[in-house]
Amino acid sequence: MSDIAADNTPVVESEGPQLLSWDSRARRIVTVYIPLVCFLIILLFPFYWMGVTTFKPNSELLNYKDNNPFWIRNPTFANINKLLFETDYPRWLVTTMGVAIGSTILSLLSSVLAAYAIQRLRFRGSDYVGLAIYAAYLVPPSILFIPLAQVVYQFGLFDTPFALILTYPTFLVPFCTWLLIGYFKSIPYELEECALIDGASRLQILRRITLPLAVPGLISAGIFAFTLSWNEFIYALAFISSTENKTVPVAILTELVQGDVYHWGSLMAGALLGSLPVAIFYMFFVEYYVSSLTGAVKE
Amino acid sequence: MDRLTRRETIAIGAGGLTAAGLIGQPAHAAIPVANVPMPKQPIEAGATLRVIRPTKFVDPDETIWNENTAKFTKATGVPVRTDFVGWEDIRAQVAVAARTGAGPDIVAGWANDPHLYEDKILDMTELAEYLGKKYGGWGALPLVYGRKHGTNKWLSIPMGCGGGALVYRKSWVNQAGYDKPPNDMDKFLDLCRKLHKNNHPVGWALGNSQGDGNGTATWLLWAFGAYQVDDAGKVAINSRETLAALKYSAEFYKTMIPGTLSWLDPSNNKAFIAEEISMTSNGVSIYFVLKNDPKTAAIAADTEHARLPGAKGTDYPEAANTLNAMAFKHTKYPNAAKEYLRFMMEAEQYDPWLTKCLGYWAHPLLAFDQSDCWKIDPKILPYRDAQKMTHWDGYKGPISSAAAAATAEYVLVQMVASAASGQSTPADAAKEAERRLARIYRKA
Repeated sequence: MSDIAADNTPVVESEGPQLLSWDSRARRIVTVYIPLVCFLIILLFPFYWMGVTTFKPNSELLNYKDNNPFWIRNPTFANINKLLFETDYPRWLVTTMGVAIGSTILSLLSSVLAAYAIQRLRFRGSDYVGLAIYAAYLVPPSILFIPLAQVVYQFGLFDTPFALILTYPTFLVPFCTWLLIGYFKSIPYELEECALIDGASRLQILRRITLPLAVPGLISAGIFAFTLSWNEFIYALAFISSTENKTVPVAILTELVQGDVYHWGSLMAGALLGSLPVAIFYMFFVEYYVSSLTGAVKE
Repeated sequence: MDRLTRRETIAIGAGGLTAAGLIGQPAHAAIPVANVPMPKQPIEAGATLRVIRPTKFVDPDETIWNENTAKFTKATGVPVRTDFVGWEDIRAQVAVAARTGAGPDIVAGWANDPHLYEDKILDMTELAEYLGKKYGGWGALPLVYGRKHGTNKWLSIPMGCGGGALVYRKSWVNQAGYDKPPNDMDKFLDLCRKLHKNNHPVGWALGNSQGDGNGTATWLLWAFGAYQVDDAGKVAINSRETLAALKYSAEFYKTMIPGTLSWLDPSNNKAFIAEEISMTSNGVSIYFVLKNDPKTAAIAADTEHARLPGAKGTDYPEAANTLNAMAFKHTKYPNAAKEYLRFMMEAEQYDPWLTKCLGYWAHPLLAFDQSDCWKIDPKILPYRDAQKMTHWDGYKGPISSAAAAATAEYVLVQMVASAASGQSTPADAAKEAERRLARIYRKA
């Protein structure tokens, strides 16, 4: 027993985190708080700018001489009104949501099966297959959109949301598979061996053991797939020509940029409202996302 | 599919047109029209059409277009759907349509698009010649953009030209000692220096912007007689004329508001409306944004337009954005497609569209010089003659994929920007542009 415990002196715990001997408040401000504030400003400023621009009248938006660019003197809902009631924005939002959810589900399904097979079945050449799938991720979509357009047309999917739901997995599956391979690797193989001894089939093992343990990885891949689908531009532009079938990123540009006149207020309102679902999605699942990237299941 | 005979189709088409009151009437009263027989384009049975075009400039651009399309459907029974696509984005859709044979039957796209896909689009010679004869001939620029280089074969029907005239504050120009901006380039530089001295700098886009940035570069080069390639398509940018233009641009840049190196298409609009600059070149959009907002009506009243300086006689150094319509060979209904374009270009439809577009588009057919459009507001008159411009994208070579690539890669504007800002000497900037153009034209 140590001397400190022996003399029965009551230990008073301070409310804040304990500072180590070499640490100091000034040191913390410089090494933690100032970088944190800088990081937050860089991270949140685009959202602040979108918000400020959304509620600014045009006269303030165009004249920085007499108006503070970072503040609003006479806030207005005109930009949101224009966006919601003078365009098909709600419909674009629904289409985008449908496309993002559809392609995310499809990509996750394919990626889980691919990643499990590559990581656990260990067939001959599985490492190379994993590498090849990841290499496919490196092919830029701007090269692929014309060949893919031919495929889409042959299937009669041109100008339908299915053109996007089925083509987005071409870039989502490789990354999700690669991410899930890494996650499956962190799940102890002994668990599966026990299940095999108990007579479980591979699919049962996947469904009852591996997937429940891999939920953070699945959520992480899901967030990734959802965000990329939500923001995708080039395929949405090339495969959809009807105004009503367009997704938000393409449609707001078409509708709110007229020649060299940009309706900045409504554009920013569209961007702000469009980023909300993704932000909410992140908010709920951010812990899973972080844990999957840092590796949650340890042997 | 059951097809009607030509005679039956003509009968049905004529009946429909008569019922809709579209033939047997004179054209719009102000437009002089020659009596020319219509091309024989019997519409295929069961035809439907799909059209894409750039998104509207102003609301009537889309509204009247759709009204005219509805009139066509009513007259012919051919359902037509028009989709409007972002200006910068239409090229991707055209590329997909051309490569896959899917998508729209007609694209009213940008000036050089038909030249990039000439093997995939319908011959428009008969229709273009009919329209030219009927409406006083085509302007110089539509003749270049509509026909295959060096031939009389028409690839497309130019529908409108968006001019990029000088936009300036009259009171500030007067204050600088000039009644209006002079045509002479040295005097113009003197005006810009005086405006700058009076705290009213000028502003021209020198960033990678499709319209204004490329427009700045081509204006300066063409005003000094420079060009990127010669008649045969051989790179000719590294010339004495180019060096003169680049030296001028270095002096001109000193009179500009800071930041123009990063300016994109909307930047000069914003700066002019905010009264940060006294002069720029642009479409008519700045003026109408000012005019339509009561808070900026006073600025609109002080705003004037003029031709860009540097013209030699009728040889104007201006670029004009051209709306150029083509019909793909993959369409099942080629006659319906051509008939639709004819219908849209006839004065009964075209003139209301032109008039309501308020000068955003200028007519390609010279008879429309008489349109009411140009009598509404004398301030927009400089935009009327956009079709008379004599320089084109890739001047003075053939319009080709190389010319389009040079524009898309901003070779000229980057050359001008680097020389103007002092990042390179004029000689080095021209040399670098020559190297880049040589690579682009060699690849093509």
